[in-house]
Amino acid sequence: MSRSIPAWAITLASIAVVLCAWVGVTEGGLVRDLFLPSPADLWSGFLELIDEGYKGRPLLVHVGDSLFRVGAGFVTGVAAGTLLGLAMGYLPKLDALAAPFVEFLRPLPQLAYLILLIIWLGIGETSKITMLFLAALPVAAVAARDGVRNVPAERLRVAQTLGASSWQVFRHVIIPSALPEILVGARLAAGIVYGTLIAAEIIAGSSGIGWMILDAGRFLRSDYVFVGIIMLGLAGIAIDRALLLIEKRAVHWAGR
Amino acid sequence: MQSVRTAPHDLAAADPVARQTRAWSERRTRTALGAASVVAMLLAWWAASATHMVRPDLLPSPADVGKAAVEVITEGYRGTTLLQNIAATLGRLLAGFGVATLLGVPLGLWMGSNRALHAAIDWIVQFMRPLPPLSYMILLILWLGTGDLSKSTLLFLTAFPIIVAASAAGVRGVKLQRIQVARALGAGRGAVFRHVVLPSAAPMIMTGLQIALAAAFSTVVSAELLAATDGLGWMVISASTFLRNDIIILCIIILGLLGVGLASGLRAIDRRVIHWRGRE
Repeated sequence: MSRSIPAWAITLASIAVVLCAWVGVTEGGLVRDLFLPSPADLWSGFLELIDEGYKGRPLLVHVGDSLFRVGAGFVTGVAAGTLLGLAMGYLPKLDALAAPFVEFLRPLPQLAYLILLIIWLGIGETSKITMLFLAALPVAAVAARDGVRNVPAERLRVAQTLGASSWQVFRHVIIPSALPEILVGARLAAGIVYGTLIAAEIIAGSSGIGWMILDAGRFLRSDYVFVGIIMLGLAGIAIDRALLLIEKRAVHWAGR
Repeated sequence: MQSVRTAPHDLAAADPVARQTRAWSERRTRTALGAASVVAMLLAWWAASATHMVRPDLLPSPADVGKAAVEVITEGYRGTTLLQNIAATLGRLLAGFGVATLLGVPLGLWMGSNRALHAAIDWIVQFMRPLPPLSYMILLILWLGTGDLSKSTLLFLTAFPIIVAASAAGVRGVKLQRIQVARALGAGRGAVFRHVVLPSAAPMIMTGLQIALAAAFSTVVSAELLAATDGLGWMVISASTFLRNDIIILCIIILGLLGVGLASGLRAIDRRVIHWRGRE
């Protein structure tokens, strides 16, 4: 079979085929460039965005605005969620009290409560970052709680037998054992926050990549729409890979 | 899921009957505490609105929300009843998610067992997966119009890469020894696939389906916020333009309960079907 051809070569060939089909379809006039701009249009659109920015703001400012919102919501939400989750895992009573709200919030479509947050907090950054905070919090909390719960009981007992105080057990046994799951939860939360942010910018925004995509779409600038989507896709992959790298570095003991 | 950590020094833990009773009583305590905290939250909400601590136009009282519920169930909201809106949202969700499952699982299984196909397609899946669905909604509207087709396609594209990636990863994660043992014992390709690969990959596929359903649920509401004339998302955005906060809160509660219901429904199927999960 294909055992002799390396996987990367097939991937490259497949990318080449898709690009060729794209060029062929657009240059051959099979679809209008309104529906699908050609790669050349995309490139010139990209250069235009870099040179002139979009609607009075440089492209980098839009990217920066989006990243700032994602970062702020992610960091605060994951920090608060992890603390809550650690406490929930350690104290079953607290878990019982908080679980209904965490379980309710977790599958709730974030944009539904964004509307309420806009009414309460105004349409500025606060409501968006609060929404992202609320999107990250339950995911991180559930991951941290399950991480604490899944600490093997023998490990706790060994530490206790050796005379460790409850704080020492928590600090030196529970946290390291739960860390792999906490980091997996953080990566999951990052994906959710990232996806939600763009949606939020589309509903209520005046800057950011999500807003740029929607606004360009309204003016039928599909080249800008495509540039925005490709940037989002690449940034999403980069964020995911970066967190995966941190995960591997930070918890080199995972799986052992 | 609700793991009950039995203290090992407890002699009762050794006795299965005592352990069962203990688990029951712990579960009862848990449910009671959970119910108590929900009731406390409702009381706090009621007290906050009854004492006018928060402005009623910002936070309607529980009674107002209850009244709004009766109103939208019996009379409907701007011509559509609550049930019609729930059905519209769920219908879109199931159409997109259902097609994504029917196509995504076979494709993922195939990709998992065929290296060349995996190399050819995986980059597309990896690019699609972290892409926020609403970002390409505008393109779908351009291509397919504002009707249900573009929304169902959006949900399909939300769920599809997640399902494909999970199914492929499930197959690729099957231990080679298992396959070799089965082959050595004389199993053919079909038998290996049915009796070794599929059961080993199934837990991961089911996990992928759960993540995909959650993502699609969240996307359907966003899509309805952007362009729709019915559905729960539409209800929320429309209520917000008329400053009907009671209806917004009602919709949020319904959406939360629906989300919990969908997630636990799929988890229950998971437990039924993949009874070997975690015992491999």
